[in-house]
Amino acid sequence: MSDAPPEPPAAPSEPLPQRRQQVGLLDRPEQDTPWVTLVWNDPVNLMSYVTWVFQTHFGYPRERAESLMMDVHTKGRAVVSTGSREKVEADTEAMHGYGLWATFQKDA
Amino acid sequence: MATAFRRKRGRVVGRLDDDEVAVVLDLLRLTRDFVAPERADTGDPFLDLVAGLGEADPDPTEPSDPALRRLLPPAHRTDGEQAAEFRRLTEHSVRTRKATTLSTAISVLEESTPPRIDLDDGQAQALAVALTDIRLILGERLGLRTDEDSERLHRELEEALSGERDIDPALAQQMAYYDFLSWLQETLTTAMLER
Repeated sequence: MSDAPPEPPAAPSEPLPQRRQQVGLLDRPEQDTPWVTLVWNDPVNLMSYVTWVFQTHFGYPRERAESLMMDVHTKGRAVVSTGSREKVEADTEAMHGYGLWATFQKDA
Repeated sequence: MATAFRRKRGRVVGRLDDDEVAVVLDLLRLTRDFVAPERADTGDPFLDLVAGLGEADPDPTEPSDPALRRLLPPAHRTDGEQAAEFRRLTEHSVRTRKATTLSTAISVLEESTPPRIDLDDGQAQALAVALTDIRLILGERLGLRTDEDSERLHRELEEALSGERDIDPALAQQMAYYDFLSWLQETLTTAMLER
């Protein structure tokens, strides 16, 4: 952790130039681009177990965990988490630990 | 004869007879040998760190055994380079985590007093996760690729048990193990979800 500056930085004395709004989207920093963790359907993992994994690992409430599980089951896959690349890689690794078939990718 | 696990006063309790415990223990031990990392940790964090540093990069190619490939699947669908990099960075820790969970499940059953199997949440979870790895391996060996394959397997086993269908006894035994472990895991996770 870094130290806080000794004094708050001075507030800008003039309103921000209006031009800023127009370039906002182009300036979107790399770390804001979302990555996703996907879980894919497989014939072995049980619906109850997949629900339990989503509740346990992600802390999702029962309803959300069940609806994600049903998406995996009926649509073949579901996005189970989003965030930085580091986060979705860690989630993918955890899913592999639980025996779920997970992949990560940049959100299209 | 096994009975389903239920949540009782905060614990997860079911019944398994001696033979059933012995079968599950056998399969847990085989699975641990199969999945444990090729370079086992020593338990000494310093020695493990040094061993890890000195190690040549682990092989980032996909395992040739389809069952091992299912336990350690590619983490990227289209980008082989990212999948290989992920495998290089995570394979050892995923294998270690699986082997540790399998060891916990093994001790839990070794220390149990059948037929009553009385588990706390951590023990029940370790057993449920460990059963997944056994079932993934058996499922791969039995050629389960789709949901229809699992339904077909269950139907064929029922027909074999009732004498309507002839199947190879070794295959029938694998199918029976798979079916039993599926039932066992289903009752465990259902009990774990009741809070």
